[in-house]
Amino acid sequence: MTNLTDELSIAIAELDEDKVMALVRERLRAGVEPLEIVKKLQDGMTRVGELFETGEYYLSELINCGEIMKGAMGELEPSLAGGEQKYRGNIVIGTVKGDIHDLGKNIVVMLLKGTGYNVIDLGVDVPPAKFIEAVKENNAPLLALSVLLTSCLDSMKEVVEEVKKSGLDVKVLIGGPIIDDQFREYCGADYSSNIASDGVKYAEKVFG
Amino acid sequence: MAEDKLKLYEERKKRYLAAMNLEKPDKVPIRLSLSEFVAKHAGYTLQEIYYELEKNIDSINKLLTDYDLDAITGAPSLWWASLHDAVGAKYLKFAGRELDPNTQFQYHEEAYMLPEDYDAFIENPTEWILNTFLPRLHEELSEPGSYRANVSLIKGAAGMAMQQGMNQKAWATWAAEYGGVPAFTAMSKAPFDTLADTLRGLSGIMLDLYQRPEKVKAALEVLIPHNIFYGMATSGGEMEFPLFMPLHRGSFPFLNPKQWAEFYWPSLKQVIEALWSKGKRTLFFAEGNWTPYLESIAELPEKSIVFHVDMTDMAKAKKILGGRFCLSGNIPNMMLAYGKPEEVRDYVKRLIDEYAGDGGFIIDAAAVIQGDAREENIRAVIEAAREYGVY
Repeated sequence: MTNLTDELSIAIAELDEDKVMALVRERLRAGVEPLEIVKKLQDGMTRVGELFETGEYYLSELINCGEIMKGAMGELEPSLAGGEQKYRGNIVIGTVKGDIHDLGKNIVVMLLKGTGYNVIDLGVDVPPAKFIEAVKENNAPLLALSVLLTSCLDSMKEVVEEVKKSGLDVKVLIGGPIIDDQFREYCGADYSSNIASDGVKYAEKVFG
Repeated sequence: MAEDKLKLYEERKKRYLAAMNLEKPDKVPIRLSLSEFVAKHAGYTLQEIYYELEKNIDSINKLLTDYDLDAITGAPSLWWASLHDAVGAKYLKFAGRELDPNTQFQYHEEAYMLPEDYDAFIENPTEWILNTFLPRLHEELSEPGSYRANVSLIKGAAGMAMQQGMNQKAWATWAAEYGGVPAFTAMSKAPFDTLADTLRGLSGIMLDLYQRPEKVKAALEVLIPHNIFYGMATSGGEMEFPLFMPLHRGSFPFLNPKQWAEFYWPSLKQVIEALWSKGKRTLFFAEGNWTPYLESIAELPEKSIVFHVDMTDMAKAKKILGGRFCLSGNIPNMMLAYGKPEEVRDYVKRLIDEYAGDGGFIIDAAAVIQGDAREENIRAVIEAAREYGVY
């Protein structure tokens, strides 16, 4: 479990919106490097992911945290422009063709962005070719696929098969409430999970 | 009604009602929550059942001819897509229009109600829905009072009446010619779900809980009598069969325990208790995992609900709710789609052995059965239930 010492990191982990905004403004005024502020926000976000994993936080806290983060980033954006943000790596993500559900995917995106990855979110109802194109274009070592409907599982299998056929050097993570090991084997993916916070865990595995 | 079918109808009904009253029927009743699977079984595309009421209804005739079911949930498509096209619904996507001909319909969620709408909604929900919400949700109604909007209101209302009329006739035919018994005869929702599903959407409601909790509570207060009324109105005076209540945002882990106890449960409990006091039982269709809330659910009056198990811990549900409410469900939909008939048989046998012994149990899948379920697995459910489910 991350041990937080920074006041801003603690404020975001505790979902104290007013304090987060006040601290961000205060630090910007004091001339703190914007990327340094982002880093502190990300540490707090990582802690929120951990609290979700251990069952102390629920979806309501995750979604609320995402909103606070959005507000804080909005405040930081003008100062960030021009600065070179360093990412931990590129990840392509999307909900597979036939399915337009994005709640789970959006939470995974939020947590991955929050922990410092560059996430290329292709949205919902994404055909296989679009996934492959995005992996190539961004040279992404990790592709994450989301699904809710059991009736769209074959669509997920199709993406994995196409990716493997393409010979691209990319690990595939599949996620959704109904995904289990049996289906991961059936579909030939590298990793699978039905818990949103696992996205970060598998990313750590791929990006080390 | 042919005499043999009438006898079959009465047998099945008795079996189904007995289980809900916690009695031991002759056999464990089978109620399968079948949706798009029925179209596949009948050889129709999803586009056909969404757009053609006759085919939507006919697919059940085929189902009842081939399968021995004690209760059915009705035509596979709840929606008549033509009706939604007539008003230009933006929140539904259908096969053959936005989606491929054999793709499951989809609901497009957004915060269609905005935070600033709360006051008008609380003041007069029906007026706000008609004047503000419906135009926002439907392309054809976007200019209220215009020629186009007026025509589409007429078309929408006429379409609704046509669909209801045909469904009503279909139920009479299913009963008379196939001995088909309805799994439920009315519908309502948890007030929190009414607010959180189509109105505010998930992200919207989650933020409201932090930013405007008092407005949420006031809106829920308005929705309690509405949802009781809606349940009674849709039951049309029929009181033997339960009311269908699909439950969404109360499942784990959407809300934290404090929010659940403060926002989700009190209003839902009031609706269920009021319906029960009028004699209407609720089919508590607990989608997802409800394990942390079983103790609260046990507070409801005895027999007032049928607790349906999707991903809730079945053993805990039996321990906490068994003997108080009838239980149903729990056959994994993944298994019905990707498993083998032997696995399905074993699962059904185990369910019956462990949970059906003292009555008060209904066989069903965990969630609504879509087009991915395999024919041989559905057959295996029914055969195993009949083989092992004799008391």
